[in-house]
Amino acid sequence: MEYQNTLTTCIYCGCGCSMYVETIDGRITGVWPDKTNQISGGRLCIKGWNVTGFVGHPDRLKNPLLRKEGKLVEVTWDEALSQVAEKLSGIKRESGADSIGLMTSAKCTNEENYLMNKFARAVLGTNNIDHCARL
Amino acid sequence: MTNSIPELETDSRCILIMGSNTSEGHPLIASRIVKAKERGARVIVIDPRDIQIARLADMYIPFRPGADVAVLNGLMNVIISEGLEDKEFIAARTEAYAEMKAVVEKYTPERVQEISGVPADMLREAARLYARNKPAAIVYAMGITQHTTGVDNVKSIANLAMLTGNLGIAGAGVNPLRGQNNVQGACDMGGLPNVYPGYQAVTSPDAQKKFQDAWGGTADTVVGLTVMEMVNGVGDGTLRALYVMGENPMVADPDLHHARHCLEKAEFLVVQDIFLTETAQLAHVVLPGGAFVEKDGTFTGTDRRVQRVRKVVNPPGNAMADWEITCRLAQRLGAGGFDFASPKEVMEEIARLTPSYGGISYERLEELGFLHWPCPAADHPGTPYLHKGKFSRGQGQFHAVEFKEPAESPDQDYPLTLTTGRLMFHFHTGSMTRRSEKLHQEVPEAYVEIHPDDAARISFKRGQRVRVHSRRGQIELDVRVTKRIKPGVVFIPFHFAEAAANVLTHAAIDPTAKIPEYKVCAVKMETIGVKEAKSQGPS
Amino acid sequence: MIAAIREAVAERLGSCDGVVALRRRNGGVAPHLFQKGDELAEMELSPRYPLMTVVSRLHKAFPAIRLGVVARGCDERAYVEMAKRNQIDPTRLEIIGFACTAEEAQACYCREPSPKHPVAGTPPAPGPPNPLVAKYDSLPLEERRSFWKKQFSKCIKCYGCRNICPECFCEACAMEDMAWVEPGLLAPPFPTFHLIRAMHMASRCVACRECEHTCPAYIPLTVLYDLMRRDIADLLGYIPGADIEAQQPLSLSLEQAPLKK
Repeated sequence: MEYQNTLTTCIYCGCGCSMYVETIDGRITGVWPDKTNQISGGRLCIKGWNVTGFVGHPDRLKNPLLRKEGKLVEVTWDEALSQVAEKLSGIKRESGADSIGLMTSAKCTNEENYLMNKFARAVLGTNNIDHCARL
Repeated sequence: MTNSIPELETDSRCILIMGSNTSEGHPLIASRIVKAKERGARVIVIDPRDIQIARLADMYIPFRPGADVAVLNGLMNVIISEGLEDKEFIAARTEAYAEMKAVVEKYTPERVQEISGVPADMLREAARLYARNKPAAIVYAMGITQHTTGVDNVKSIANLAMLTGNLGIAGAGVNPLRGQNNVQGACDMGGLPNVYPGYQAVTSPDAQKKFQDAWGGTADTVVGLTVMEMVNGVGDGTLRALYVMGENPMVADPDLHHARHCLEKAEFLVVQDIFLTETAQLAHVVLPGGAFVEKDGTFTGTDRRVQRVRKVVNPPGNAMADWEITCRLAQRLGAGGFDFASPKEVMEEIARLTPSYGGISYERLEELGFLHWPCPAADHPGTPYLHKGKFSRGQGQFHAVEFKEPAESPDQDYPLTLTTGRLMFHFHTGSMTRRSEKLHQEVPEAYVEIHPDDAARISFKRGQRVRVHSRRGQIELDVRVTKRIKPGVVFIPFHFAEAAANVLTHAAIDPTAKIPEYKVCAVKMETIGVKEAKSQGPS
Repeated sequence: MIAAIREAVAERLGSCDGVVALRRRNGGVAPHLFQKGDELAEMELSPRYPLMTVVSRLHKAFPAIRLGVVARGCDERAYVEMAKRNQIDPTRLEIIGFACTAEEAQACYCREPSPKHPVAGTPPAPGPPNPLVAKYDSLPLEERRSFWKKQFSKCIKCYGCRNICPECFCEACAMEDMAWVEPGLLAPPFPTFHLIRAMHMASRCVACRECEHTCPAYIPLTVLYDLMRRDIADLLGYIPGADIEAQQPLSLSLEQAPLKK
């Protein structure tokens, strides 16, 4: 018998509302507004109340996919990462790092964006990194 | 935002909302404005659509989409001609006032009425309301920025705030509301082609050396490509590989037929996402990432507020938190410096290399709940509002900005102006909200909002669908007839891939910010009969 | 006061599988299921959350467990109506009640700011009646409509009033029924959206005021529900939450109901 409420931040706009995601035995069972948050103060919009609505959707990707004979098929992480690493290093070797571009994500965390920026610049060696700030 | 969100409720005496459908785009900021209004603050809404928050405003001012600079110059014209400007602030803290004034003098209310459709007296009244109720906050969103004149619009807003001394004090300021939960953070973290984390310019040899030393390698000092340039680059072959994490340009980009044409040509496209999005369907490799409840981390809200995200459940199947994927891939490429055990360790590195995040740590966030950057040191309390006492650049600079027409105006062939935007019930390209039952059931499919006059012009009858054309493509969708929109203007939300507003939009961009003109293009419309069985989209 | 409650909770952890109360973590406070070995020093009494909803979810998820719950007067009233509607099993619940402070009673306009048998705190004097109700009563009929029209025009359709309500637990909600409410509109259709909820609160609303506190549009929802409570009391002699033995009037036939002429 496990009951948890985990404090987290909403993903649906830049307001910065926070909420508790409720789980019973590890299954998401609801959302409680965070009454101490300075922005939302115990209030949420419909998106905030339903912020976990898509998480368990059957369409979620569960395995890496690789295009083989024109079709995307499920593969292991090992195969997928090898393919990406091989292709990127090959293209970098042949045409230079600036022939690679990266789109990082306004939906991902700061840490993930930092790592993508580090990956683009320190590993690949390109400043071709941007995200949807303009879109 | 130069100021923080709670100040709107507690300090602002006037709130000017322009180009932000605050109730739907930023509902809990709108909530603060509702509360401010009940406290007695004055609210002015300037928007082509009679949006929900306009209903509670003291003044609602509709205007022609794209005429923003004219309207803002007009407000300043009135303020200067009536002597309502803050002379002390202008003298002490700004420069280039005379040049700005010379341009603004040409924008009399009568001329602005001609350009924008705003009655001259209404403009005068709004200018007085804003200038006489200090502190006054300006709140704006993509309605200001998504224009070929986006930078001009923002400069004009800054002019207006400086002209009235509405910067550097609580409850005032220039307050862009960032549309996505962590667009502020993605910018802060160097997710831009011109800057390292903390806006350290890639063109600066000092910054380059700093990161070279810290990381053991980095890029050159040449600014990289923006999103739109990358999409064009894969189209013309100058970019051979594109790696897309958690973005969906196949719905989000302007002129989608062009975007598809480009992305289909990509030699190597990697998409990392949680669903097989329209973009992922074109990929060569798809990597399954983690949703926000499946990872630890931080987001930075629109008021520079850094807050925690916490892991609740494991990713499904073999999916993996995105930070882990990047680390694994970097290690696969033989790179050092990616052996992080947790996002907490990543934040420690961020704090070491990013001056504005220098004092931010998981320990402090655990205790305080949030910190506003700039927060340069572990004992710094964070900065709720910027530019107190002096601007980051020294003196505040006025810009003389002339009104320019949008890239594409309505004409005989395409007589209507299309503007696009967000709905309360959906987010961006809809990949998450359209798969959330409670949100999907509110608005399951796309529609176009049209004024009754325009409905009559195409002999629209209830239940019919329409086809909307631009010079770039056409889509078919449902109709909502409403007086909330001006005659001659139509609105389409951009969340729906099967009737994507961005098939129609124009890829013309602002020359500086390179932001596309999503908010104005020319379209025409025709009825296509009653619709058949409802298409449901993903559910 | 909290020391006495912690002691009572520690004691109940001997006889119950867990005790539902608030816990401070990560700089915030949220409902928690305290179990043996948990740090009771993290227990808090404020802010309020609808803890009986948590009890209900746990009772449904684990049909054999016995729970304790740290409860205010409003929580206990919520429990009474939930138990009558089979949302909580009274034989598997022990209430560890505490009285609200006089300030809290004032702020909530709470007429019953304590459970029946508090283990801590002295029941304060009831708060004053909601002054907005008297103000509303003084309005002529046509102004009452425009009062609500204006208030409901602020609604952003978050459904928070329903989501936070301990007495709203239907699996299918009429507020989401397209036959009654055209979906996807802001503000939602006037007055059906809000009146559906108001009607469904008849004989249910226990005046916990959570709906009003969670409303991002600051709509004075409790005026509506206080009026409904008053009508139900006047017409049917029923006060929701007051007595676990009293039968819900709307489950009786009209002949049996003590309907006043």
